Amino acid sequence: MIDVLDMTKKYGKFTANDSLTLSVDKGELAILLGPNGAGKSTLIKSVCGLLRFQGEIKIGRHANHTVEAKRLLGYVPEFPVLYPMLTVAEHLEFIAKAYRLDHWEKRAEELLARFELDDKKKKLGKELSKGMQQKVSVCCALLPQPQAVIFDEPLVGLDPHGIRELKGVIAELRDSGCALLVSTHMIESMEENWDVTYIMVSGRIERVCRRADIGADQSLADLYFSITEGKEKGAIL
Amino acid sequence: MNSLIFLLVRSGINSFLELLRKPAKLVLWLFLVSLLIGLFVLTLFTQKSGDAIADIVWLKGALMLLLLIFAVISVQKGLSNGDVIFDMNDVNLLFVSPVSSRKILMYGILRMAKMALLAGFFILFQSNSLSSNFGVGFWAVFLVLLAFVLAVSLLQIVSLLIYSLSNGKPKRKRKVRILTSIVLLPLAVSLAVALVRTGDPLLAAENTLKAPVASWTPVVGWAAEGVVSIISGNTGTGLMFFGLILITGALLILYIAFSNPDYYEDVLVATETTFEKKRGLSEGQINAEARSGKKVKIAGMGIGGLGANTIFYKHWREAFRAGTLGFWGMSSIFTVCGAILMSLFVRKSGGNGILVLLQTLMWLQVFLIGTGRGLKELYMHYIYLIPESSFRKILWSNFEIAFKVLTESIVIFLAAGLILKASFVMTLASAAVYVLFSFLLLGINYLSLRWTGADISNGLMVFLYMIAVFLIMLPGLAAAIVIGTMVEGIGVLLGLTVLALWEWGAGMGCFWLSKGVLHRCDIPVMKTVK
Repeated sequence: MIDVLDMTKKYGKFTANDSLTLSVDKGELAILLGPNGAGKSTLIKSVCGLLRFQGEIKIGRHANHTVEAKRLLGYVPEFPVLYPMLTVAEHLEFIAKAYRLDHWEKRAEELLARFELDDKKKKLGKELSKGMQQKVSVCCALLPQPQAVIFDEPLVGLDPHGIRELKGVIAELRDSGCALLVSTHMIESMEENWDVTYIMVSGRIERVCRRADIGADQSLADLYFSITEGKEKGAIL
Repeated sequence: MNSLIFLLVRSGINSFLELLRKPAKLVLWLFLVSLLIGLFVLTLFTQKSGDAIADIVWLKGALMLLLLIFAVISVQKGLSNGDVIFDMNDVNLLFVSPVSSRKILMYGILRMAKMALLAGFFILFQSNSLSSNFGVGFWAVFLVLLAFVLAVSLLQIVSLLIYSLSNGKPKRKRKVRILTSIVLLPLAVSLAVALVRTGDPLLAAENTLKAPVASWTPVVGWAAEGVVSIISGNTGTGLMFFGLILITGALLILYIAFSNPDYYEDVLVATETTFEKKRGLSEGQINAEARSGKKVKIAGMGIGGLGANTIFYKHWREAFRAGTLGFWGMSSIFTVCGAILMSLFVRKSGGNGILVLLQTLMWLQVFLIGTGRGLKELYMHYIYLIPESSFRKILWSNFEIAFKVLTESIVIFLAAGLILKASFVMTLASAAVYVLFSFLLLGINYLSLRWTGADISNGLMVFLYMIAVFLIMLPGLAAAIVIGTMVEGIGVLLGLTVLALWEWGAGMGCFWLSKGVLHRCDIPVMKTVK
């Protein structure tokens, strides 16, 4: 569903992403790990069509810049940016109408209730805390029922309820056949559900690991540290 | 070395080294310095003499007006969050360090003076107009800059003091407002009395500016009188007024340092607010409404449209929620009122007054066009992800600014045409040039973003944009002037028509060249400077 083929992104002489190739199938949860500056956010923005790049990125066999690809894609950015003069409900209405969605109201209500935003429908974007803005951002991304969803540090700023609900939503999306690409530093939070992990270092994918590839006594954190620091460490995160 | 001196020196050295590492920035600075030298040379040849020189009192008036704006802003800041004299890194590293808070305050004030110097940099470019209007040399420009830096630094200290004394105390805030009014009252009364006596606004302003009441108006009057006195040869008087600013500043600093050594809390809110603003900008939140504390009344709800045109309906909802005037913000009101006032002013001068007005409005539009919501959409991810064609999304996202420009031009040129008694065809042609110039500017904005990917500093971006406007307009303007002067009678009208056609063609070209801005260009990021 998400296919990145030999993708390179340069900022002047600096190579942020170097010949990256990855794919996320339907019903698969791919985790993107890596230290700060590894190029995770650049990769995610490129997949979402926010950055130009060399190579090929496809969403459901459509080039990522096409209207068809955009219809399949949902994106939760690292920094939730809402329209300050729109209410929470209007953000969802805007997405529904811009995406030409039918019968979206019930789903919007469900999403708002799930993230405890149903009593804040009339609050303006600028009146919300960072965590609330993140929740609205998640609702906006999920409203069109995308078949591929990209999350960039989705758990940062969320309260414990929000974290629990989002983890639940991610699991449900995966079970419903959605392809998920999640970039995170909170390795523990994704331990339960991940299918494949891409570990990035200095703009390159250093290791691709499927759940079946690691031993029962090894955690995702162990794997991460063995790649990024060259030795195994306990799950200290 | 003392840690604070180390910080100041090392920051300066690092800024210089960074400049050397960024060729584009270096070229921009070299260009500005060359421009300054060029202006200095030009000053030597453009000095007027005799009757052509305007009375120096008008320089005093202009400087007072400029500083008055800064004074009002400083008092307002003092009454809200206080002025920004520290950065967040100072708060996190310096405030918790075992360095004397008084020394840190001095460090903050020195940094503040540096910021005032940078803010006053534009004054250096006024050498030619100062020389041609007042017959003063290049050194006078430095004198104006010195007065500006001194006055603005003092106003920032006043702002800090106001915040320190009135934070969380509504009664004190009221007293500050009353005191500020009392300070400016003698000047206002003097102006009103002069106006009643003479009946001529210009003469009344001139008489007031020459009176001691203007010179002794705190800060703004002191600085302006200091400059004018020294230029006029009264160096002693000038130095006395500058000394007054320095002594007042020193006394206020001493008062803050000794009466309230625990001032950290007073500067924290402003520092954090500024830091959040910068962070918001770099994260894509460039809407000023997001940072406004203004209470918003939510009357109507909902968004119309379907597909790409939803963007326009969203802008409609946002605009009317931000202000009752909707697409017309305060800038529109100022533009219309300013245009009407200018029309009344140029009516007496005869000739093609409407062309003078058109020229001024076009200059203004170069800077105002960027305030449209369409361009701001490019800094957020939504417009890129909406599954509609790029063309339709760009088109609908700019309907708001198109509507604004069209309605503004109808009101402005209808009023100006009537006031200036211009013919209908001439008024229509001027309006067309204005509207199509806005269209061209929009195209140049997209082109700048498309070609640079906004991956350059804001200063360089504005510089490139200005150069692009100049270069793209040059052929059209040249053709319009040639045709306008060659053809008798309807020459001006023909010239305007040629210019309008050029703007239309060049605008279309810019939009064509910038096609794909939504998918062949990096999402722009607002670069924030420290």
